[in-house]
Amino acid sequence: MPAPSSGVVPVETAHDDMIHDAQLDYYGKRLATCSSDRTVKVFDIVNGSPSKAASHTLKGHTGPVWQVAWAHPKFGNMLASCSYDGKVFIWKEQAQGTTSGEWTKIEEHALHTASVNSISWAPHELGAILACASSDGKISVLTLKDDSKWVPDIFNAHAIGCNAVSWAPATHPGSLILPQQPGTHQPSAFKRLVSAGCDNLVKIWCFREETQSWVEEERLEGHTDWVRDVAWAPNIGLPRSYIATASQDKTVLIWTKDSPTSPWVKTALDPSASTTPNPAGKFPDVVWRVSWSLAGNILAVSCGDGKVTLWKENLQGIWECVSDLAS
Amino acid sequence: MRSTPHLDVLPPLVEAGKTDELVESGRTLFTAVSPLNDSYAVFLVPLFEKLSTRPKPTDSDEQNVYFVSSKPPPSTERRLFIGDTSIIFAAMQNLTKTVDKNGVYSTQQESIQRSIRKLALDYVNFARECWIHTSRMAGEIDQADADHYRSLYTCLSLFTILYLPEYGMENAPVGDDLMEWLNIHFIEPSTEEGDHLSGLERPWEDETFWPYLTRAILRGLPKAVAFFLGTLAEHPSGNLRRLAQSIIPLLSTQPKLQHFDAERDFAYASHRWREKVKMLRIELDDVPESDRRDSFEDWWDRFSDIVGILEGREEVIRKVCEDLGADWREVCVAWGVFVDTRLRRQDLPDVVAQVLEDMPPDPTILEDMVHVALFMGDPLKALEHAAQLDPWLSAHLADMMEPLSLVEQQAVNDESELSVREFYVLSYTHYLHSDPAMWRITVSYMYSCGKVGAAAADEILVRVPLRLQSKPSNTNDSSHSQADQGDLSAVVKDVNATCHEYQREAARRTVCKIAAQTFVQRKEYGLAISYYSSAEDWPGLGRVIDRVLQEYIRSGPEQYTKFVSGIAPSLQGLRANSAAHGVFIHRLMFAVRYAEFHQRLLNRDLQDAAWDLVSMLQEGIAPKAWWAVLLCDAIELLQYDPTPLFSYASACTLLRDLDEIISRTAQGAGEDYLKILESKLQIDGQKDSQKQLQLVRFALAKYFARCAMIGTGGTQTVRRMVDPTV
Repeated sequence: MPAPSSGVVPVETAHDDMIHDAQLDYYGKRLATCSSDRTVKVFDIVNGSPSKAASHTLKGHTGPVWQVAWAHPKFGNMLASCSYDGKVFIWKEQAQGTTSGEWTKIEEHALHTASVNSISWAPHELGAILACASSDGKISVLTLKDDSKWVPDIFNAHAIGCNAVSWAPATHPGSLILPQQPGTHQPSAFKRLVSAGCDNLVKIWCFREETQSWVEEERLEGHTDWVRDVAWAPNIGLPRSYIATASQDKTVLIWTKDSPTSPWVKTALDPSASTTPNPAGKFPDVVWRVSWSLAGNILAVSCGDGKVTLWKENLQGIWECVSDLAS
Repeated sequence: MRSTPHLDVLPPLVEAGKTDELVESGRTLFTAVSPLNDSYAVFLVPLFEKLSTRPKPTDSDEQNVYFVSSKPPPSTERRLFIGDTSIIFAAMQNLTKTVDKNGVYSTQQESIQRSIRKLALDYVNFARECWIHTSRMAGEIDQADADHYRSLYTCLSLFTILYLPEYGMENAPVGDDLMEWLNIHFIEPSTEEGDHLSGLERPWEDETFWPYLTRAILRGLPKAVAFFLGTLAEHPSGNLRRLAQSIIPLLSTQPKLQHFDAERDFAYASHRWREKVKMLRIELDDVPESDRRDSFEDWWDRFSDIVGILEGREEVIRKVCEDLGADWREVCVAWGVFVDTRLRRQDLPDVVAQVLEDMPPDPTILEDMVHVALFMGDPLKALEHAAQLDPWLSAHLADMMEPLSLVEQQAVNDESELSVREFYVLSYTHYLHSDPAMWRITVSYMYSCGKVGAAAADEILVRVPLRLQSKPSNTNDSSHSQADQGDLSAVVKDVNATCHEYQREAARRTVCKIAAQTFVQRKEYGLAISYYSSAEDWPGLGRVIDRVLQEYIRSGPEQYTKFVSGIAPSLQGLRANSAAHGVFIHRLMFAVRYAEFHQRLLNRDLQDAAWDLVSMLQEGIAPKAWWAVLLCDAIELLQYDPTPLFSYASACTLLRDLDEIISRTAQGAGEDYLKILESKLQIDGQKDSQKQLQLVRFALAKYFARCAMIGTGGTQTVRRMVDPTV
C-alpha cells in the first residue's frame, strides 16, 4: 500500500554520556531517558517530535543510571530510576496549575548493596508498587502505603546477581468487573513477578498474603548462560500467560502456560530464516532485551548485533519475524 | 520465506554497512514502544560488559532518540476512506449479530445473503469513488494512491461477482459477468487505437487493424466490431467483403444469459448460434488459397482466428491472447464466454489452473495474486495476498467471508485462538493504531474480535489522551472556568460512553481514576470526587477529602471554604448511592460541615458557628484527629465577650473531649489525636500543641466561671439548644 515518507526528527537528549534507557509514558507523550552521566531527563513529545518547551534534568544518582520506569497516571506523574550506585529513586512531578511542574525526589531506596539493574512497576490494579532487581542477588519490592509511605520488602533471588524483573498481569485474563454490590468483595488481585538471573535461571515469585512474604513459586530452566532480560506479556484476553526471556546464550525463549494449572512450555524464537545462517534458534549475538507491545502481540528483541527484530505469532501460531530495525 | 520489512533511521546513526563497527565499539540498539501509536523509540546503548573499557563519546548524535514506525499514518484521503468504510463495517456487524453461537443465522439465509451483497457493493462503490477522486487529484498527490484504490476496486468487485452473486444465481453461468468485470477494469482495445483507425480511409492497411478487431470481438464490444467490419465493405477481396457481411449479424445475435429467463433456453439458443458459426467456417474454408491475402496481410488467417474464437476453440483463444499481449485473466474470462458458455463458478478453478500453466501471473503484482486466488476459489490465499496489498482489504474481505462460510468461523489453532477473520481484522487495527486520533474506529474493529480483541481495545481506550491539561484554567474568572471544565471532560465523557457501549467496566474505571487524579492535582476537587465515585474508588474519594482538609491546614479557612463549595454538591448524590462506602461519606460530611462552620465564623455569625462546632463533636462527625483543631477553633468563641455562645452542656462536651485528648496523649496515643493540630501549628509557625490545649483549657475554665456568675445554663444558651437549625 502507499507509504508516504515521513521525516523523522530525533530527540536530542543532550546527555553528557551514553544513554542506557528511554521510556515513553503511559500516553506516549513524554520521554524519559537516563545515562552514564548520572542524570535522568524528561522531554515532552508533540506529534512524534520533541517539544521545544523545557526539558527537565533529574539529578541525584552518583553512578550511571540504568533504567527508568513510568508509574500509572492514576498515581500522578511518577517516575522511578535505578543506578549503579545501588539506589532507586522515585520522582514525582508536583503540578503547578496546568503547566508541567517541577520534578522532586519523593523516595530514596538504598537497601541494595550493589548496582540496581532493573525496575518494574506492578500492574496498577495492585497499587503503586515497584520491583527492583540488583547485582547483590536480591529483589526488593517497594509499596506505597496510605498515599505517602514507601514500605520495602527485600529477598534473595538469584545467587550471583539479578538482571531483570517483570510483573504478571494483575487480573485473570478474561475476567470481568461488574459494578460492585455493597457487601461483596472483588476477588483480590494476585502479586506475581518473574526475575532473570546470572544463575541462568528464570524464577517466578508470588506474594503470600497469609505469611506476608514473597516465595519462589516456579523456576524455568532452559538457558545455558546468564539471563539478561525477562518480560511477562500483558493480558491478551486469553487464559494463557506468556513470558519472554533473552540470554547471553544468544537465544530468546517464549514460555507459555495455557491455564493456571498447566506447566510452562518453552519455544525458542528462530531467527535463522531471516538473518545470516546461524544454528536454528540462535541469534547472531547476545540478546539483551525483550519487550512486549501493549496488546502483547508483538515482541521486540534487541540483539548485540546492532539490530532490533519484531516478532509476531502468525495465523498458524508460529512466531515470525515481521520487521527489523537497524541503525 | 519472504524478506522481512526493514526499517532504517534517518539520519543514520551508523553509516550503511558499518553495523559491525557499532558492534565492535560495544554498542547496540534498544527500543521502547510508544503507547500512543505503536511506534518505537530507538536509541544506541553501550553494552554492560564493555562499559569500563569504553571511551566517553564525543558525538552528541549518539545520545539521540529516534522514532520509527513500520506503519506510516494514513493520509487525509485515506482517513476519509477508513472512516466511511467503517460505517459499512458496523452495518455488517449488526447483521452478523443475528448469528447464534452455533453459527446458525436466526434470520433467513436469503435475506442475510442479500444484505451482505448489498454491503459488499457499498464497499465496491466506495473504492471506486476513492479511485476516481484520487485520479482527479493526480499530480497534487501521488499517482500511486489512485492506483492503489483502483486495485482495491478490482479485487472487491471480483470478489462480489465470484462469491456474492445475486441470490439464486450461484449456479448460473458466470462468463458474461466476468467479461463485464474485465471490460470495466482492464479496458482493451484502447480508445486511442479506435480513434486512430476510424480516421483512416482503408483501415485494414494499418497493422493495428486486425489485432484491434480481434480484441474487440474477444471482449464482445458490438459497436466497434460492427463499425470496423463495415469498413471491410470497401476491401478489394470480394470474399472478405461477403464474409464480413455474414459475420456482422452473427456477432450481434450471440446469446447472452441475461436475455433469457431459463438457462435451458439460453443453452438451446447458444447451440443454434454455434451451428451458424459452423456455417461461416464452411464458407471461410471455401475461399480459394489465391484470395486469402491482400497486399498487407494474410487476412484469411486473421479472419479464421476470429471465427475460431466464436467457435470456442481453446487453442485459438490462447494463441490470440498471447499475440495480443493479454494475460491469463483474459483467457479465463473468454473461456466462459466462448469455450464453455455454461461455465460455472465452481468449475472456474480447473480452467484457471490449466491456463496458468502456460501463462503464469506476475508474483510481484499483489493485485494479480489476489485475483488468481479468488479465481482459484482459494479464499485463504486471497486473504494472505490481500494483507500484503493492504490490511484494509484483507480485514474487510475476511469479515464478509466468515458469514459466507468461505473461511472457518472457529479458531484456526490452539496457539493464537483467533479465527481467520479475527486475525485479519486485528492486523488492520494495528495499522489503524498508527493514527491515535482514530481510536474510536480502532476499538470498534477490535471489539468485534472476541476476547483477544477486547483486551487489545481496552489498552487503547485507557490510553486515549484525556487532554485534561490542555487549557489553562483561571480560577478567578468563574465563567471562563466553567466553559473550560465543559471542554475538559469532553474526551473523558467520550471514552466513558465508548466503554459503556462495549461494556468495558474495568477500562472505564481506570480512565475515571486517571481523570480524578489529574483533577486532584489541579485542585478541581469537585470533579475529582465525581470521577472517583464514578469509578467506585472509595479510598480514592477519601484521599480527595483529605486533600481538601489539608487545604485548611495549609491555606486557612477562606481557601478551604472555597474548595468545599466545589465538593459539597456531590454529598447529596453520594448519600443516595448505596454502593458508596460509609467511612468516606462520613469524612466528606465532616469536610462540608467544617466548612460551614468556618463560613459562619467568617460571616461573624458566631452563635451558629458555636452551635455547629459543638454538634460536630456531639454527633461524632468530627474525626478524633480533628478534635484538637476544633477545640482550638473554640477558643475565640469561648472568649467572645458580649454574650456567652455555649450552653453549659455544650461547654461540658468541649471539656470532655479535651480531657480525652490529654489523657490519651499521656497514654501515648498523641499521634492519633494531635497529628492534624501539630501540622497546622507547624505551618502557622508554632510548635507546641500542648500549649495550645492549655489555652483551650484556660478558655474553658474562664467560660465556666462566667457561666457560674450569670447563673447555670443562662437563658440565651438554653434556647439555642432547642433550636437546631443545621
